[in-house]
Amino acid sequence: MTAHTERIRLTGTPTGRNVHLAEFGEEIDPLQREQLHAYGLYAPQTLTVLQQRPMTVVLCEHMELALEHAVAQHIWVEGE
Amino acid sequence: MHHHQAVPSSPDGTGTLALVGHPNVGKSVLFHRLTGAYVNVSNYPGTTVEVARAGARFDRASSLLDTPGVLALPARSDDERATMRALLSENLKLVIQVGDAKNLRRTLNLTALLAELGVPLVMALNMSDEARARGVTVDAQALSEALETPVVATVATGGEGIAALSATLAHARPPAPLLHYDEESEKTISTIAALLAAHAPHPHLSARGLAILLLGRDGEVENWLAAQPKGGEILARVAELAPTDGRDSLPARLARERGRAAEALARTVTEQAPASGQSLSLRIGQIAVHPLWGWPLLLLVLLAVYFFVGDFGASTLVGLLEEDFFGEILNPAVTDFVRTHIAPEWLADMLVGEYGLWTMGMTYALALILPIVTTFFLVFGVLEDSGYFTRLSVISNRAFAAIGLNGRAVLPMVLGLGCVTMATLTTRILHTQRERLIATFLLALAIPCSAQLGVVFGLLGSFSFQAAAIWSACIVLVLLLTGWLAARLVKGRRVPLVTELPPMRLPVPGNVLKKTGGRLKWYLLEVIPLFLIGTFIMFVLDCLGVLPWIIETGKLLVTGWLGLPPEASAAFVMGFLRRDFGATGLFAIGGQLDTIQAVVGMVTITLFVPCIASVMIVIKEHGMRIATLMLVLIMPTAFLVGGLLNHFLRLFS
Repeated sequence: MTAHTERIRLTGTPTGRNVHLAEFGEEIDPLQREQLHAYGLYAPQTLTVLQQRPMTVVLCEHMELALEHAVAQHIWVEGE
Repeated sequence: MHHHQAVPSSPDGTGTLALVGHPNVGKSVLFHRLTGAYVNVSNYPGTTVEVARAGARFDRASSLLDTPGVLALPARSDDERATMRALLSENLKLVIQVGDAKNLRRTLNLTALLAELGVPLVMALNMSDEARARGVTVDAQALSEALETPVVATVATGGEGIAALSATLAHARPPAPLLHYDEESEKTISTIAALLAAHAPHPHLSARGLAILLLGRDGEVENWLAAQPKGGEILARVAELAPTDGRDSLPARLARERGRAAEALARTVTEQAPASGQSLSLRIGQIAVHPLWGWPLLLLVLLAVYFFVGDFGASTLVGLLEEDFFGEILNPAVTDFVRTHIAPEWLADMLVGEYGLWTMGMTYALALILPIVTTFFLVFGVLEDSGYFTRLSVISNRAFAAIGLNGRAVLPMVLGLGCVTMATLTTRILHTQRERLIATFLLALAIPCSAQLGVVFGLLGSFSFQAAAIWSACIVLVLLLTGWLAARLVKGRRVPLVTELPPMRLPVPGNVLKKTGGRLKWYLLEVIPLFLIGTFIMFVLDCLGVLPWIIETGKLLVTGWLGLPPEASAAFVMGFLRRDFGATGLFAIGGQLDTIQAVVGMVTITLFVPCIASVMIVIKEHGMRIATLMLVLIMPTAFLVGGLLNHFLRLFS
């Protein structure tokens, strides 16, 4: 993860906000990373955060995706 | 006809058309439209665990194959491996890629790889209605020109575009590649492709496509190559050229470049109308996973499932079938007929005796379990078609995380309250072997089936509310504790849940009924033989005098450690056959028991081995070694917990 002040964790993004995916943290293993790519999560994809509890749910184009916090906290995003 | 995992080639060599696509894009509904055959269609990623095949309506000489959904290729999950195996082993005529019209980027990501395999391809751009509802318009003509192969917009659930799709199959061509990888990657791909073409050519798939899959570390292609004469050498070369370590490994780079190419093409052929606010479907879906409102909704759904399956199915329908029809009419008639017409007494006993193939095996399968699974499959179909199924997994995920599972396990565990045997089969929807193993173990140990629950509460309720409360607390505690332990002892790490939430939809009754029909057919073909084998084993044990010996031997443990009357031994042997029979055995001697004995007896029999049908299913799913290990762990655990509870309660009573 490069130090970049505007970047925040997906889990720390308020509900309803549109963000751009910046990068995946090193903590996400290669297989999980592939899975996320397969769902269409690439930088700088726009995501809308729909909710944070009990899991992070984002809208990626027209697909709703639920991510456990163990994964979502290692996804770094930038505000629109 | 269903094939599990390995898919043999068509016997007459006429060729296969394979439906390939992401989970939850309507592949199985399209399969049904194109073949008229039953299949376990799915609105839940991972439910189509088997590869289904049927004759195509539009081309009687060919068969159509419905492959499990793939999130991406190279293959990583069991479903993706099964699909890749089918592509490798089939005499492929063409691939029908079923895509999601509202998620074209993701669809084309898979096309980017399929296009490299050199197999003719037609794209069915399905769920066009949902795309329209979201303001998404895909220019199918432009996409077809870009891919140089037919693209047809379809709505499989409504039959829209099916005729056009059938008509275009004759014009299928291998698609134009979506991208050229970067120069360095292209060099590596060419090196491996040249080796494959020279030493291990595949009869249908291109060397270039296989090289890309190999460099992406596809396990199935590696297995195929390892079986070729010079495969080992090529595999060594792949390992040398494409190490998988490092953040920007070649497999990751190839996947990223495919993703970018897919996005670029998707942008050029898709138009998005301005958003017109949230749709009703989206709002309902959000309530279902809402941190507050999701819970009451979940409780309502679970109650509905329990009342329909556990109460209506397991009590009302089973009562009508087992007691009234089989017990009063059918079995007396069959028994009378067999005793009259079959001379050797042992043969008659084997058919209609205490452990008779008909009176026990078929009666259990048809009168006891069939009504339960029928009602369950109906509920299951409604839940998965509505899209609520995956939302259940989100709501319950945290609770399951404590026992090493993730939210996907909620359905097998709830189903276990209806029938543990069926629930054990449903653990197939879990993604990893580790999760399946833990869930199966917990089902076998601590989830009482509905029939047993009825007997347990019947007996304990007659003593006191506290007795029933102690039993419940004890079972929940054992479930959490063993789950916690299993999560730490079973190799592998817990996989965090990442799941797509398909749109909430009103279930189509016809589809739910078709699915239920297909699943029941599968159930009857797969489970009845197991019931008959189990019954036969009990019959032989009884003939050899082993059963009475077990009852006699067990008395020490039962009276000494558990503090129960000696007659309770018989209940445990019957408990092996069916848990509720064991509980009924205790119920029958309830007059001789005090409160502590009743609680201890019921806790022990609940934790005691699952019924023989469940054990047979565990053997089928996990093998004899795992099944034996589970029994070796479960039986002492049941007696240990029962004995400790006995001494603990007596200490404080």
